[in-house]
Order: sequence, then structure tokens, then C-alpha cells
Amino acid sequence: MNPAGISTSLVRLEGIRLAQLVGEFRELLATADEADEAINRLTPNPYPDDANAAREFADGTRTDLLDRRGADALTVHEALAEFRIVGDEISEEEALRVQDLVVAPQDVDAWLRTLNAIRLVIASRLEIDGEDDHDPDDPRYGVYDWLGYRLELLIQAAEDAETR
Amino acid sequence: MATPELDEITELRAAPLEPWQVVVWNDPVNLMSYVVRVFRTYFGYSSDHATSLMLAVHHEGRAIVATGPRETMEVHAQAMHDYGLWATVRKASE
Repeated sequence: MNPAGISTSLVRLEGIRLAQLVGEFRELLATADEADEAINRLTPNPYPDDANAAREFADGTRTDLLDRRGADALTVHEALAEFRIVGDEISEEEALRVQDLVVAPQDVDAWLRTLNAIRLVIASRLEIDGEDDHDPDDPRYGVYDWLGYRLELLIQAAEDAETR
Repeated sequence: MATPELDEITELRAAPLEPWQVVVWNDPVNLMSYVVRVFRTYFGYSSDHATSLMLAVHHEGRAIVATGPRETMEVHAQAMHDYGLWATVRKASE
């Protein structure tokens, strides 16, 4: 892997949206709500046929898993600091300005896991259960698809950097 | 009275290690390229092997991605969960 990390460019509006999503994701993790389907999707049960083993596994690992997710999300949150804006709307010119985003080699996995986890959360909210579940009229699918596109680009960039 | 060390040895002899498995299940969300990358980078599998496992998950609904002692398989399952993959642990004989 290139010691300088991987670089990807995005327009400012994308960065701002991504920073918002990561912020919402961190809030969701903080709830650790066992009744929330999305949280449950992030903490799967490895023993669906053995309630005792499932409970033991969850007791021993669930909090740590959510903590690691939180640490991953914090890494991404900090990397997106310049995209967090408060108050005034930005001009169209500013919104469409292309910016480079550099991900350090040691942060690549945190980025991949976090973008993927946010997609899982959105999929859970949209109740996506099959390959063909898609509604072009629901704007949330736009966010879901865009995140998939961004994740794919990041994976490609990471693989390219490894073979350079 | 036996020493703790001897107790441990006796216990290992009494319960021969039975292999367990980590099974990764299909879901419509995780990208194929992502799943291949996880299998490749986490388990150290070749691109070809990681790709065939991903295709098995995708087309057959699941794939056995690791076999070994239960404790190790639980560690692997946790790692898969960290990556958002849907992994379960079971006895190889099941």
C-alpha cells in the first residue's frame, strides 16, 4: 500500500452529506438500542439455533463490537471535519467545488466498515430484503445507491494503491 | 491433589477438539467487491479463493469461510460482524 494512503475526489456537497450521515450513525451507535433492527443487523447472532450460546456470545462481545464501530466512525468523522458546516447554506459554486479526500493506509478499513455499516442501516430502514428491492421514487434509495458508489470507488482506490 | 497444569492436560485429553465452522450468509446489501476484499485481507486468502467464496455466498446463499477450534471461529465471526457480514458459528458435524 502506498504510504501516502489513498486519495479520492468528491464535490463538497457529497462531503457535507457524508459528514451528516456519519454524525447520525454515531448517534445511532450511542443508543445501542437492542430493539432497533438496524443495531441488530450490525450485531448479528452467530448462534441462531442456540439461545444460550447466543446470549453468552452477545453478553461477551456486543458492547465491544459497538465500541469498535464507534471508534471506526470517529476516525471517519474526524477526517471529514472540514465538511461539517453549521448555519448558512452554501452557494452552488461552493457546493460543487471538487475536493480531494486522502485516507491514510491505517484508516482504510475504518472507512470501508463505516460506509458499509451506514448502508446496512439504511437498508434496514428501507427493509431491503432481496436483490430487487428498489423504489426509484423513494429518495432514500438515492442516498443508499450513492453510498454504494462511494464505497466501490474507495475499494478500487485501496486495491490500486496496494498494487502500485 | 493434582496441580492445575495436570488438570488442564487431563481435560484436553477428555475432550478432543471438534472442528467448528464460520458460515457467511448472503445478504442483498454488501457489495461483491467488498466481500471479496474482506475475505482476502482478513483471512489472507488469494483473490481467486476469496472470489469463489463470495460467489458461493451469492449464488448458494452461504459459504464456509473457516474451520477450526470453536474459540478461534468465534473470533473470526466477530471480525466478520465488524465488517458487516452476516456470519454464524456451528459444529462442522452439523
